[in-house]
Amino acid sequence: MEPIDKIVFGDNQFFGINHMSQEKAQQLSEKFHDLSSIINVYQVAFDSGIRAVMLNSNDRAKSICEYFKDNKTKYPGLSWYPSIPYPHKYANLISEKGIIPTINEILFKDNSAMGLLGMIATGSAAVLGKDAVKMMKMLIDVEMRMYKGLNVKAIFLQNIITDLLLGYDVKEIFVEYCHYIKSKYKVLPGLITQNMPKLLEKLKEWQIEEVVICSSFNKIGYLMSPGIDSYINAATQNDPSKYQIMAMSTLASGAINAKEAYEFINRQNVQSVVFGASSKKHIEETISLISLELTVS
Amino acid sequence: MAKINLGVIGIGRMGITHYSIINSHPDIHIKAVVDTSGLILSLFEKYIKGVNTYKAYVDLFKSESLDAVIICTPPTLHYPIAIEAAKKNIHVFSEKPFTTKKILGLELSELFEQKGLVNQVGYVNRFNDVFTKVKEYLNLGIIGNVIRFRSEMFSRTITKTEEGNTWRDSHENGGGALFEVASHAIDLIIFLVGKPDKITGSSLSKVFSKNVEDTVFATMLYKNGISGTLNVNWSDESYRKPTNKIEIFGTEGKILADQHGIKIYMKNANPKFNLKEGWNSIYITDVFKPVPFYVRGNEFTSELYHFIDCINNKEIKNRCSFDDATGTLEAIEAILNDYEQNGKF
Repeated sequence: MEPIDKIVFGDNQFFGINHMSQEKAQQLSEKFHDLSSIINVYQVAFDSGIRAVMLNSNDRAKSICEYFKDNKTKYPGLSWYPSIPYPHKYANLISEKGIIPTINEILFKDNSAMGLLGMIATGSAAVLGKDAVKMMKMLIDVEMRMYKGLNVKAIFLQNIITDLLLGYDVKEIFVEYCHYIKSKYKVLPGLITQNMPKLLEKLKEWQIEEVVICSSFNKIGYLMSPGIDSYINAATQNDPSKYQIMAMSTLASGAINAKEAYEFINRQNVQSVVFGASSKKHIEETISLISLELTVS
Repeated sequence: MAKINLGVIGIGRMGITHYSIINSHPDIHIKAVVDTSGLILSLFEKYIKGVNTYKAYVDLFKSESLDAVIICTPPTLHYPIAIEAAKKNIHVFSEKPFTTKKILGLELSELFEQKGLVNQVGYVNRFNDVFTKVKEYLNLGIIGNVIRFRSEMFSRTITKTEEGNTWRDSHENGGGALFEVASHAIDLIIFLVGKPDKITGSSLSKVFSKNVEDTVFATMLYKNGISGTLNVNWSDESYRKPTNKIEIFGTEGKILADQHGIKIYMKNANPKFNLKEGWNSIYITDVFKPVPFYVRGNEFTSELYHFIDCINNKEIKNRCSFDDATGTLEAIEAILNDYEQNGKF
């Protein structure tokens, strides 16, 4: 399978997401209110050698994608790693309306063009509902629309969805997701999870290969179920030609200092690191500290 | 050991999550699910083999031999379902706010205790690693005697004008910010400080809902002199996720906490707990306990695994029993009454 970028620049810092402090999250959200302040940080990251970006399909991501599409010549050689969907959008809608009306709204109301065609072809979610795979494919297409025209390398399913489905233990959905991403988008399927060892075990059991697994991986075992030892073992025994591992939350939301964090990560059998930062100092420091020795064979 | 045969009743937002988590437990065999939506049931039939589906809970109890059920229906159905479960000696995990009336809560609590059945309600903050740390500090008297508190909860649950046609927009069905959201903030008060003796100064106001309140204010008074306030808004778009905030002032210091961390001000240093004089910060990354399987937050796994622990070992005291949750219903009723009698013009 095609090797993924060793260092990928994440997006949590732009969207007011911080797992450790809501105050910090609020400050970030204020700081990155304007698109231009986000673009400035990307510029710093690119100047420091970054060539890969992970971006969640939230409402604000649309304008970021637009910008990079409009200015493609300014940023040659960039790779994109979308993560879909933006789960809170669905969670909030489900609270307000219920599950079926939410799917109807996402598929048919938010998207007038697809809505019209979709309505004629399928009726509504009530009809679609019986075919979860078809519904999933349509939802992927809706979420992926904003990335059209960008050089996408892998498409990640957000951890809330991956882990929810993992709990249901339904092989078919995972098979179909990975197959659809490979066949329609011609890129690597990615799964974000907080249960990496279990996911890896299941993918092997289901004989689903050539997948990128993105998971929290840090020295203190934060957001790593069932525990840090199990993560280290799973990574050590992993064959990166079948599953590439991308580490996220490497600093555990700031609980570990960068030097210590990457001394630990550099010793693990991981193929990539996704990190987010907003200052030149932190971006450069992180890049200088990451040295993944093990590559895809 | 034989597996625990379990049913999940109500496959909405919480039912979907609970199914995923509990299905990961090695002692559990999910035998059946119940939902009124034919669509949900057809998805189960198509993709999940070996799990029976029912449209009505009475048929579940008639046809299946179960050890435990998880109830995630609209709140007004919790009571009749729990009664049926008790008749068949089935352990119950019920979503909050448990029932819609204190008297029903009391009845269920007594019934389940009498029968020796495990009974738990999904007030998930009791299993959050930060709030359990706060509880530990309070039990040890780290900030001295508690004098006053503030418990707040904010979410962006209802952010558009409601048409008034879902269960969330009706008190009778257990909807509204008081039952749905404030119940968490009240439970946190009861968990950390205790049950209030008197409620006053209640206000319920609307932002977008047609039939129910979107914001809640109340003052809580205790015979021992403690007092505190409750402040809830489920139409606050500035919060990305539902957030509980608590401030507790004591004779020896002050605690500020949310799901992510604690700030604690100490009058004097406490070297035993590594707390210095003045401000101290404790983050979730300092206090978290890993869970075997993660879906939506450690606390969601912890609460369900605790339910199973209690079934496996009757010696374990349940950390959020029907009795605990009835305390919250009592406070909810007191707020409704206070507002009705004193808050309206």
